Amino acid sequence: MGLSSIVGGLGWAMGRLSRGVRVSAGALAVVAGLWLAPAGAALGAGQAGQQSAAKVLRLPIRTDGPKSLDPAEGSTLYENLACAQIMEPLLTFSYASPGTLEPLLLTKLPESADGGKTWQFELKEGVRFHDHEVFPGGKGRAVTPRDVFYTLRRLADPRYRYKNYWLIDGVIEGMNQYRDAQARLVAEGKPFDYDAPIEGFEEIDERRFRIVLTKPVYKFLYTLAQFQTSIVPREAVERYGDRFSFNPVGTGPFVLESWTPKQSLSLTKNPSYHPVAYPAREAWGRDDRRRRLDRPAGQMVPFVDRVEFTMYAQEQPMWLQFQAGKLGYTEVPGSFYEQAFDKRTRQLKPETVGRGITDHREVLLDFIFQGINMEDPVIGGYTPERRALRQALQLAVDFNELNEANYNGINIIYDGPIPFGLDGFPPEGRAPKSYRGPDLPGAQQKLAEAGWPGGRNARNEQLTIRYFTNVSQENQQLAELLKRQYQAVGVNFEPVFVDFSTLIENINNKKAQMFGFAWGSDYPDAENNLALFYGPNQSPGSNHYNYKNPAYDELYERILVMPPSPERTKLYEQMRDTLIEDVPYVGSMGRTRFYLIAPWLLNCRPTERTFSWIKYLDVDPSKQ
Amino acid sequence: MWSYVLRKILAAIPVYLGIILLVMLALRVNDPIAAYLGKNATPESIGQYRSQWGLDRPVLPVWATPPEGPVEPWLTLPVPGVEGGLSVFPPWRTQYVSFVWSLARLDLNNSWEQKRPVAQMLRSSVGPSLAVTLPALALTTSIAVTVGLLSAYFRGRLTDRVLMFASVLGMSVSVLVFIILGQYFGAYWPRQALGLNVFAIEGYDATARNWAYYCLLPVLISLAVSLGYDARFYRAVMVEEGNRDYITTARAKGASKPKIMFVHMLKNAMIPIITHVMITLPFIITGSILLEQYFNIPGMGRTLITAIASKDFPVIQSFTAVFALVFIASNILTDVLYALVDPRVRLS
Repeated sequence: MGLSSIVGGLGWAMGRLSRGVRVSAGALAVVAGLWLAPAGAALGAGQAGQQSAAKVLRLPIRTDGPKSLDPAEGSTLYENLACAQIMEPLLTFSYASPGTLEPLLLTKLPESADGGKTWQFELKEGVRFHDHEVFPGGKGRAVTPRDVFYTLRRLADPRYRYKNYWLIDGVIEGMNQYRDAQARLVAEGKPFDYDAPIEGFEEIDERRFRIVLTKPVYKFLYTLAQFQTSIVPREAVERYGDRFSFNPVGTGPFVLESWTPKQSLSLTKNPSYHPVAYPAREAWGRDDRRRRLDRPAGQMVPFVDRVEFTMYAQEQPMWLQFQAGKLGYTEVPGSFYEQAFDKRTRQLKPETVGRGITDHREVLLDFIFQGINMEDPVIGGYTPERRALRQALQLAVDFNELNEANYNGINIIYDGPIPFGLDGFPPEGRAPKSYRGPDLPGAQQKLAEAGWPGGRNARNEQLTIRYFTNVSQENQQLAELLKRQYQAVGVNFEPVFVDFSTLIENINNKKAQMFGFAWGSDYPDAENNLALFYGPNQSPGSNHYNYKNPAYDELYERILVMPPSPERTKLYEQMRDTLIEDVPYVGSMGRTRFYLIAPWLLNCRPTERTFSWIKYLDVDPSKQ
Repeated sequence: MWSYVLRKILAAIPVYLGIILLVMLALRVNDPIAAYLGKNATPESIGQYRSQWGLDRPVLPVWATPPEGPVEPWLTLPVPGVEGGLSVFPPWRTQYVSFVWSLARLDLNNSWEQKRPVAQMLRSSVGPSLAVTLPALALTTSIAVTVGLLSAYFRGRLTDRVLMFASVLGMSVSVLVFIILGQYFGAYWPRQALGLNVFAIEGYDATARNWAYYCLLPVLISLAVSLGYDARFYRAVMVEEGNRDYITTARAKGASKPKIMFVHMLKNAMIPIITHVMITLPFIITGSILLEQYFNIPGMGRTLITAIASKDFPVIQSFTAVFALVFIASNILTDVLYALVDPRVRLS
């Protein structure tokens, strides 16, 4: 139990003190209040005055918030959240159905006539950049295909440290050659040439263009929904240079008013925002309609005049501000979970419901696991014995206990590496055949098959596993639990706690026999997770398991070029089951993010797949 | 007196220059560019950034053969007996001289992470730190000295025991507990249970109108954290002072106890009080990282911690140099105050 939980408990107890005690305690506060009343009252009046003038939406950003508001430099969730209000990519994920791509700056989803190698795009009419001094007369100009090409070229500029080049690495025809040629120019002290031609870019007219890929890659469309590919005007980037991050210009629903790093971010409504309607009634599911999320269907957005984000490096102030009614929504930090929810029923507590607060549960595209180095001489390899050994390691783990002890029991446990909500996720999380624990007799049998009966080999040596994990209280608890569970089958489990960079180094150097790790999908397609086991991606690439299976690699190369279809899903399942059989990791689990929503915040259903949904939010000033 | 101050300042200059050099060398033990760019950086991009941010220049003047590539900044000096002369990197372009010069002008480089001048970051974060730490220091010192005097006055009696028990209790509680409980019961609970909007849960505004609303609670928490330590320290000082001969003489001459305590004893205890306050002084600039994080105060501590986490080298180097300067300045100030309080110090 964290300190914050203790505070929560005290707060709960204070609410139940006898009236006499509360009055005495209150008297003390009254004395302090009288002394300070002028300041507080004056401030309160000021805030009330602001509220009556405009619809203001106040939201939290967990941690210190974005480090940059330039999408070319961004990578974190918080940069995504901030940038998505100011700038927009060509595509986005639907608010009503977050797994579905939909056009944002385009008239329709891009089309391909040659099976996904060449994509044709048409920009929506009326999409203009924010009104800004960088444009003639201060009036934002229309977005053109040249802006799209310029935005993608920026990813190849060494000035941005190629931070997001991975999104288009080897994907667009001629792009890698362009990047290399420009890198040579820059190394010679010459300027980066944004006008040099790229084979894969073709402008048809002022609104239509084509992008040719090196090979049909379906995930390219997901790339165009990432905030890092948000369209920016060349004039503004060239005017501000490194300071573009503090003077961002885009097509988004809001315009930056002020940004104090680590402190706050204020945005005002973009008066010339292109027409975007709230999702139609039929786009919402039954539960969403019951929650009246379809109420403003068809209305033009954004609804609010200002958005004010506050950054919270600590959880408690964010939680208290929400409880005080100052924030529209909040994530529920683990240490505050039991204040809001009944741990047994996992439902909101009656007192929370009584205050009009609602909740939303967002299942994250998470893959939490204990990875195994397949090149390890003891537990790696592909012989039947080694496979049986790893299957034993999987069968020995009680995932329910891990979930209860470490995650308040709210994680989803599932077989395979494909998270909930994606094609290839097994029904109810259970694959047709799996080695999910706890099954101690099964684990012991597999150990015997592997030549380690009772956890000992023919030379009577005990099987010892060195488990590398990031040093933290949670990981300490998790490792202790795993140690106890493995001891039950005679396996000696030795946790090694290291800082994150040392953990990465050991994994990249293939020195970590077993390691604690997690993967959050970059986009909602299981291909992203299956790529983690593709042979050529071995360490220091994302295949940290160094899993190499030619049959699997061949299937991966096939799915890479396939659009969503039942055939592709079948291949996903086949790949998933291959991994379940080979056990290159022990797992899996996925987190659920819990949100609480204030009664005055309307149309809110948070998702982390995109953050372009802030524009759909509205406030009810009468309840604020 | 002024010549004494001048002497102290002049003596501190070489010390400070030496500290800066040590700081610069220490921060370059591991390549700051490679650390900042991360594990995927190519040698080319590391080299490019090194050149762009001026870290390819020597830290100190060197006599050597110029490195490969552009040799423009290097000067060739004719040296008798050395064919072709000797190459020297212009001292005024070395990293050390550039940094000292930029410090003197307070025109520091840009932050790598935030792309804005470090001097601007310094200016914008000193105020918020001081808005909390300065009142906290003043309050803590005055209350702790008073408690110390009272404890010494009632030494061994119930008042002394109660005060010292409370001090030990205060010392035993973690800062984090003070902050979390203070924020909850100081700001949130009065608002929810009693409808009293006394303090802000978080936020920062140091204008005269709003200072108390935003900053007083962190000040009071800071006071609660430090009071125990300081009160015990000052009590020990007062008790020791109470055993001196001049106190016995004053008592023998019939001076009242309050006069002995607050006039004779307090004046003579000023040296340890000044020492203690001056030791604390640099930390009022660095701020309290935890307080700043919990109350969302954009102060120096939070800025530095963020810079360290993101390996923002110019910020770390400049802040460290400024902290060193504050330490040296507080040392000089301590010496000056000693001299003011006790003229014998100046004479010696």
